[in-house]
Amino acid sequence: MEGFVAKQVHDYQNGKISRRRLVEILTFAATTAYAGKSAGAAEQPGLNAALVNHVSYTCPDFRRAADWYSMVFNLDQVGATARDVALPFGKKGEKPYGVSADDVPLTHIICRTRSRDASAGNGPPRRKANAVIDHIAFTVADFDRERAKAQLAAVGVKNVRDGGPFSVYVDDPFGYEVQIAGLGVTAICGAEARATCSDNR
Amino acid sequence: MERFIADLVQGLDSGRIDRREFCQAVALAAAVYGAGDAAQAQVQRGFKIIGINHMSYTCPDYAKARDWYASVLNMKSEGTRDDGKRANLMFGPEPGKGGSFLVARNPSSTASGSAGVKPGAEAVIDHICYTIPNWDEARVRATLKAKGLDVTGRDGSLHVYDPFDYDVQIASAAEENAFRR
Repeated sequence: MEGFVAKQVHDYQNGKISRRRLVEILTFAATTAYAGKSAGAAEQPGLNAALVNHVSYTCPDFRRAADWYSMVFNLDQVGATARDVALPFGKKGEKPYGVSADDVPLTHIICRTRSRDASAGNGPPRRKANAVIDHIAFTVADFDRERAKAQLAAVGVKNVRDGGPFSVYVDDPFGYEVQIAGLGVTAICGAEARATCSDNR
Repeated sequence: MERFIADLVQGLDSGRIDRREFCQAVALAAAVYGAGDAAQAQVQRGFKIIGINHMSYTCPDYAKARDWYASVLNMKSEGTRDDGKRANLMFGPEPGKGGSFLVARNPSSTASGSAGVKPGAEAVIDHICYTIPNWDEARVRATLKAKGLDVTGRDGSLHVYDPFDYDVQIASAAEENAFRR
């Protein structure tokens, strides 16, 4: 880099390039070199998150929560203990939607009742986080907003709010906000794609 | 339905309808019956869930979270959705084909329609667990260590904290599976 800069300065001082051109060249070179370093840092290998394995949902009465999620999303309850139960997004032996790998299991919700500072893993009590998952959105098949609202009303869910044309928000029995969306709501939908997906995430 | 079919058979036998008309009528009746049943079942049985669409993660500095999740879990930030207050971090299958994303956002960027952070909620998602395919215990632990993270948990099911002390679990299919609890 230094050699390159020296040559440009030399050319400038000898009148081969203008001051403006020198600034342009050096600016480009500096930002390109910086970007290269950033890209290099980003390429440090991380772990490849293939899918959400489970969502750990903690509330005062896990059975009540599990019954609600079972009812709204047609989920079975498996592996119940005195403190928790799992609700997989499908039947045993099924693969997650869009996944072909054999070692990626169905996503599931674990509804549980426990202290909020219960140990993470086998470590000390869980730290108090300075961040929160304030809502979670589930993708459902054949989503249609008005039909979804009718379905929710039919099972007694109240306070259903529109989340743009392609999703709705509801509160579960413990006031936790849940969004229900179609496959068209994706990470890449922006203002230019409002015709095909929700802009409200 | 049974009576309807019986009437059709009678019509066929009497020559009132021909064989083709008979078949068409039965097929149509079956289709209408099936559609009605399915529609009713949809209301009664709830939605057919496909997966997690996204998780809305509110923290003091979305950029710090964005960079951490990109580095540790290889999530891809969708550039066009990074507005300086939030970023969409994609992972898993392709968008629209089962892929999910984590929305890392500052407190000021609540999604319209969403109530945002609700202090009154009695429930909390205290951690998210991500599946890592092709699990290699030594490689996974070495990767986390190289990122400067303290790891707890057991083989095949590890926990780390993100920059805002949010608990992140990383697991293999063998150790974290709803049907093997």
